[in-house]
Amino acid sequence: MNNSSSSTMHGPDQPEISGPAPAPKSLRTKMGKPEDSEKKIFHKKLKDVEISVPIVYGNIAFWLGKKANEYQSHKWTVYVRGATNEDLGVVIKRAVFQLHSSFNNPTRVVESPPFELSECGWGEFEIAITLFFHSDVCDKPLNLFHHLKLYPADESGPMSTKKPVVVESYDEIVFPEPSEAFLARVQNQPAVVVPRLPAGVALPPPVPVEDPSNRKRGDTKDHPLCQWFTNFSEADELLRLATARQQVQTHIAKFRREITLIEGQHQQVNSVSDQ
Amino acid sequence: MDAKDILGLPKSTHPASQEKKSRPLKESQRKPDGISREVYALTGGVPPLMPAVEPLQLKKRPPTDEKITWQWLPFTSSARKDNLQLYHWVIVVNGIPPTGDYSFAKYNKSVDVVKYTDEEYEKHLTDDMWTKEETDQLFELCQQFDLRFIVIADRFSSSRTVEELKERYYKVSRSILIARAAAFPGNVSEHPIVKEPYKFTQERDRKRALSMVLSQTKHQERKDYEVLAEAKRIAESHMAARNAKESELLVTFTMDSERAIVFGETLSPPSNSEFAPAMVAHSTSMAENASTLVSLRMLRVYLRTYALDQMIQAASSSAGLRTIKRVEQSLQELGVNLKPGVPTKAVCAQHLDLRKEILTLLNLQKQLQHKEAEGSSYRDGLYETPGTPKDRTFVPECTSSTVDLIYIHWMSGDRVGKRDQKRKALGRAEAPSLPAQSKRPRKLRASDL
Repeated sequence: MNNSSSSTMHGPDQPEISGPAPAPKSLRTKMGKPEDSEKKIFHKKLKDVEISVPIVYGNIAFWLGKKANEYQSHKWTVYVRGATNEDLGVVIKRAVFQLHSSFNNPTRVVESPPFELSECGWGEFEIAITLFFHSDVCDKPLNLFHHLKLYPADESGPMSTKKPVVVESYDEIVFPEPSEAFLARVQNQPAVVVPRLPAGVALPPPVPVEDPSNRKRGDTKDHPLCQWFTNFSEADELLRLATARQQVQTHIAKFRREITLIEGQHQQVNSVSDQ
Repeated sequence: MDAKDILGLPKSTHPASQEKKSRPLKESQRKPDGISREVYALTGGVPPLMPAVEPLQLKKRPPTDEKITWQWLPFTSSARKDNLQLYHWVIVVNGIPPTGDYSFAKYNKSVDVVKYTDEEYEKHLTDDMWTKEETDQLFELCQQFDLRFIVIADRFSSSRTVEELKERYYKVSRSILIARAAAFPGNVSEHPIVKEPYKFTQERDRKRALSMVLSQTKHQERKDYEVLAEAKRIAESHMAARNAKESELLVTFTMDSERAIVFGETLSPPSNSEFAPAMVAHSTSMAENASTLVSLRMLRVYLRTYALDQMIQAASSSAGLRTIKRVEQSLQELGVNLKPGVPTKAVCAQHLDLRKEILTLLNLQKQLQHKEAEGSSYRDGLYETPGTPKDRTFVPECTSSTVDLIYIHWMSGDRVGKRDQKRKALGRAEAPSLPAQSKRPRKLRASDL
């Protein structure tokens, strides 16, 4: 790892990356100490490369039916998952869910994926979700807000214990200037969208993480509630936007023509009255 | 009375019955219970309006079995060391006077002032600035006055400042404590005197600073405030300058890449007047874009929806509230969500561009209306002066087609029907500036395009 990484590190240094170029000798001699080189790429940030993580957050709530009492009528789960149900643990270190103050210990911390929280209750309220990232990703946390929904929108239908109320929101976490370390680590991770690197920038091969079979699986592909997950697809939205833009552009063209027509006529009128 | 005379009614019986009535009435009135008659009369002889305290309750007291007397007895206090005999009233219950110390003796607290022996003085505490007598006097006063240094300074024989006295006292105490701790193993490092030694210079400066602040005149206060505000402004301008420099760099970069696209996109025949304002608008909008990009980059992490909101705000910063509402209305009519349901990078970019295009469209519409207004003023002028027939044929043509564009239909022709009526009214309301409207407005249909 060391020799090849050191050679690739020097090439692209000059044009793009602003930061101290590491001295070649020090890297080559320190063959047995990968932490030094890692520390250097820890701090180097890449401009023009934006990493985005598509996520879906929301809640699923089941009515408890016969087992419901006054204070616990629904069992709900609030969560943050990858949009394609991939493991978010590569990016997110922990998630903190801030519940209504009437709950016991309203600040719930989830240290490992899947980042979710299940509770029983009767009320709808706003949940503040704070996402903390790994140290090489970002040192600032990010806040999301989700209004917990338990009761279906149309109150007419009978409540069923089998069909839950599902409210999900799609969003993307954007890291505008990711560090090289982060980029190197996630370049092959499915949960993260890494754009094509600009020409000339090459990354060291990713440091092998701990054996994946040891870790508890963090993806939600086989989650017990996955049948209720919404499948967000941008194709429909893109189509509608394209159609709308087409219409607007046509109108713009028409107006522009009309304006020039009138201007032409005004000029003519002016020239006539001058005579 | 006279009336009864007139009527000839017997009056002999009445006076008698009246007297009888009044007397028993008065007697019943005179029966207050609990308080004496005279006192009751003070209230006017009538019972008070407000419920007063029941007179019965006033005199009664819970009957006690104990005999309570008060006696003037001597007492002693553990707080006094001089055996002074004082007296006070004491409640005696059943002949037994109260026992125990004087109840206020527990408040007699004092400070543990260190007491050193002469030996210790010789060993640890000699000082150039202080004689032994002075130090002894100091400590005596400290003991007497419970470390009230201002009083001690006043009573001190030679004139020493409060800070000097304090320094001497704390230095001596500290040295003694440390010395004694060395002899008998014990941990004194937690003792406050040892942990935080008295700093003479710091104290002197601090007090001086405080007195300066206190004695500042109003004039000085105002000047200080102004200086601070100026400093803040300078700092902020530095920040702004740094930001502006970054955004400038970005603008120049994006301008170069965008210019190619701008040139490719123009559809209408180039007319100079139109082009220049479009370019200016474009560059200012790009500058706004650039500055939002910079501010987003500074965040290090953000949500795509947040970024989109910021960009939308930047793009519509020049537009008024009504225009923004019209943009949103147009979006709804086009069947587009105001907030994209799947905000990916591509979707957000398209959404933003669509909003910008709608803004352009609305601006063009306004421009057209203004041109139309100009045109009508021309027309008025023409109708007054004898003009050639050629002029008249031109002008009505242009009015019929432009006035129709007052309101835009996005829908296809067949659905226009009923909505037309509503739209007509809206159209009129939206374009009040048009002075001369043609008598036969023909609604523009989507099929016309």
